[in-house]
Amino acid sequence: MPDPIYQFEVKRLFPLEIFGVDATFTNSALFMVVGVILSFGLLMYASRGRSLVPSRMQSIAESLYEFVAGMVRDSMGEQGMKFFPLIFTFFMFILTLNMLGMVPGFFTVTSQIWVTAALALLVFFIVIVVGFAKNGLGFLKLFVPDGVPIYVLPLVSLIEVISFFSRPLSHSLRLFANMLAGHITLKVFAGFIIMLLGAGGAASALAPLPLLAVLGITALEFLVAFLQAYVFTMLTCMYLNDALHPGH
Amino acid sequence: MSEPDHGAVPERGNLSPEDIAEFKRRASELGTRIESVQAEKQAEIEEQEDRANRSRGMAYGLRMSTELVAAILVGGFMGYMLDSWLGTMPWLSLLFIMLGFSAGILNILRTFKRMQADIEAQKGFTIGKTLPDDVDDR
Repeated sequence: MPDPIYQFEVKRLFPLEIFGVDATFTNSALFMVVGVILSFGLLMYASRGRSLVPSRMQSIAESLYEFVAGMVRDSMGEQGMKFFPLIFTFFMFILTLNMLGMVPGFFTVTSQIWVTAALALLVFFIVIVVGFAKNGLGFLKLFVPDGVPIYVLPLVSLIEVISFFSRPLSHSLRLFANMLAGHITLKVFAGFIIMLLGAGGAASALAPLPLLAVLGITALEFLVAFLQAYVFTMLTCMYLNDALHPGH
Repeated sequence: MSEPDHGAVPERGNLSPEDIAEFKRRASELGTRIESVQAEKQAEIEEQEDRANRSRGMAYGLRMSTELVAAILVGGFMGYMLDSWLGTMPWLSLLFIMLGFSAGILNILRTFKRMQADIEAQKGFTIGKTLPDDVDDR
């Protein structure tokens, strides 16, 4: 049976060292570059006409914009639109990488914990910087919920602190785990087809069953690929909203 | 409204009873056809909304699933670091795992609250029951 983990192996394409730091260009880096170029290129191509009656491509780009803008306005209000470029970049980057990962034989960048952790930590530090820049020490109100009696406050604050620090972990883990698990499931079921066909006889007759499963899982994976981009972006909005308005 | 157009057009107010019956039949036929098309469209819209709601529910589910695990891991890690720093090995780890569990539940409750607000904003009602706050819990 083909190794279901093999697809996540990071391969060195050509070695590169910058000031003693190992910056080897890997297949992961390659697909990130492809993802950036693809999302940027498609959006630029789609919006080149800027016609009042949009072409097909332009209306796709517009609906993507509307979708993310709606999300930002819903969770942060109009002043959240300052963060729109950042949030839209996150959404397009993750969506493109997730969808690229669905192409057979392609590398899924978002199934690498270091990539998702870097994205989540970026959000985490932006929230801290924006929070302190906007509210000064008032940002610490995030850890002191209203209406809590003074004698349980230390306990509640501690829980709030843990809750705050669990954010980057759950933020990165969710994207990583969903992409990883989905792709492994897909690969394992696809492996069953080959195994059953290889077994010959009556077992081969059962081969269409895992094929059907693969078909269903592929559809589900496309949904998950989109939903994970949506969830990541949505949570970024929520966390930034906490930075703008601390206190629950 | 124009009369059904077959054969010679009779003069106004001079319709034969068969023509009137024919006209009525066609009008009612048209009515049922319009109704069925409308019902079809309505069902289509409802199905689309249903699908959107289901994927939104799935998004919330995916979110909540990791919240709890992440909070427990962070709590345990904090406790472990404090323990190895202060030399009080199992105790702070145990305490912080419990605290992490509380933080995880808190996260899930907050997500759920937001989900309910979402549903209420969209449908105008909440799912589940609203129980009165216990008077003695604050």
